[in-house]
Amino acid sequence: MREHGTIKLFKRGPTAEFRLFVLVVLSLTLLVVDARWRVLDPARQVIAVAMYPFQRLVLAPRDIIARFDSWSDAATLARTEKEALQRQRIELAQLATHAAQLSSENQQLRRLLHVADTVSQPSVAVEVLYEPPNAFSHHLILNKGSSSGIRPGMPVIDEGGVVGQVVRVTPFTSEAALLTDDKVSIPVQVLRNGLRLIAFGGDVTGKVEVRYLTADADIKPGDTLITSGIGGLFPAGLLVARVDRVERDPGSGFALAVATPLSHPERYRHFLVLKVDVSKQQPGQEAGSDGSTTGQ
Amino acid sequence: MVQQPANKAGSGRSALSFLLSSLDQTELKRPSSPWLIWSSMIVIWLLSLLPWRLWPPAPDLLLLVIAFWCLNEPHRVGMFTAFVFGLLMDVHDAGLLGAHALAYTLVAYGAVTLTRRLQRFNPVVQALHMLPVFLLSEAVARLMHSWLVGEWAGWMWVWSMLITVALWPLADILLLASQRRLDAVDSGQK
Repeated sequence: MREHGTIKLFKRGPTAEFRLFVLVVLSLTLLVVDARWRVLDPARQVIAVAMYPFQRLVLAPRDIIARFDSWSDAATLARTEKEALQRQRIELAQLATHAAQLSSENQQLRRLLHVADTVSQPSVAVEVLYEPPNAFSHHLILNKGSSSGIRPGMPVIDEGGVVGQVVRVTPFTSEAALLTDDKVSIPVQVLRNGLRLIAFGGDVTGKVEVRYLTADADIKPGDTLITSGIGGLFPAGLLVARVDRVERDPGSGFALAVATPLSHPERYRHFLVLKVDVSKQQPGQEAGSDGSTTGQ
Repeated sequence: MVQQPANKAGSGRSALSFLLSSLDQTELKRPSSPWLIWSSMIVIWLLSLLPWRLWPPAPDLLLLVIAFWCLNEPHRVGMFTAFVFGLLMDVHDAGLLGAHALAYTLVAYGAVTLTRRLQRFNPVVQALHMLPVFLLSEAVARLMHSWLVGEWAGWMWVWSMLITVALWPLADILLLASQRRLDAVDSGQK
């Protein structure tokens, strides 16, 4: 001890600067790798699974209050719903006969055309667990994950139409990008005339955009956009959005349509995840979140 | 020959004790209990999982508490703790891994470095010293993030950091309350 001239009185690890350097390099590496590739997803899943009980724990009071609340107005709700349903039943009766007629006609035509019947899609009901505070994207964390059969790429719908797409799953939760997220694209067609297009999340918050239209494309305000089924991820015929306005730019020769989504992810907490076959997706690619995977 | 070093050491020790006795130090501060340090950080972390952080200028209470303990108990809480909590928040927010971790580590470094200078100051002066640390660290992390994502998320985080720093004196009152009470008891017994 004495020979060295100093006595080590305090336990001392590496210097603060060294530790700072190591941790900063580590964070920067994580940032760059996570932004460019998807190799960190297993690590993220492990942390997410470890955090899940804590998330449920702190959100438990909210869930209990919500449950109590819905239970207390169950009676009123049931009465109003019953009246609305009765009215609706009368209105729908006529429509139903009409639909039955059309569907038998449709089946006959399909048989004639040798077209495969549209398969009814298996689905799983999910609930929003929380909305992550992230200024860069519009995502929702849902309360079911890969243990319920949810995979990245599956579409999320509500009664209004398409809400978004699952982009990441952990065993107990999944992360869905909303239609309005600028990284989501979805193949659509105009209900009125069958024009096939691709809709993107808009620059304006809460809107979707249809870009790269030719200037004379037959699309006008009030048109409804539905999924076209091309690309294989979104089943055909789901409502997507209603066109608000069409901006035609004679200079570039292209037009841009801005549309409002018909689903309301901000109003409801329950959604349906459609269990489509996502195995055709190339691994390593962000599932369906760019035009190249869902595109026409 | 053998005795000499011992003699030297003995005289050295007496000189040292003389020096020590002639110094009138301010009263010794008790260290905060590790139980308080960790429970406060974990409780604030749990609170940070709740949706109130959706409000863009919401203060980062977890960062505040971590920085506070880095400054006051640098031997217990340091950059590594900050890094781990940052990573947990990254996963919760579904953002890029490492964004919070980078900001938290830099703030922790600032706090650990300033600890000797700031421990004798009152909390308001500490908050003023910490303001540039918070702003710079967050700015570095935001710039990195924007560079990788290709989009700037606005300036709301500056408000968030200002509110966080404004809460420093409150953190000082709450987190050091028990320790101050014990200190008061000690000085009363003297």
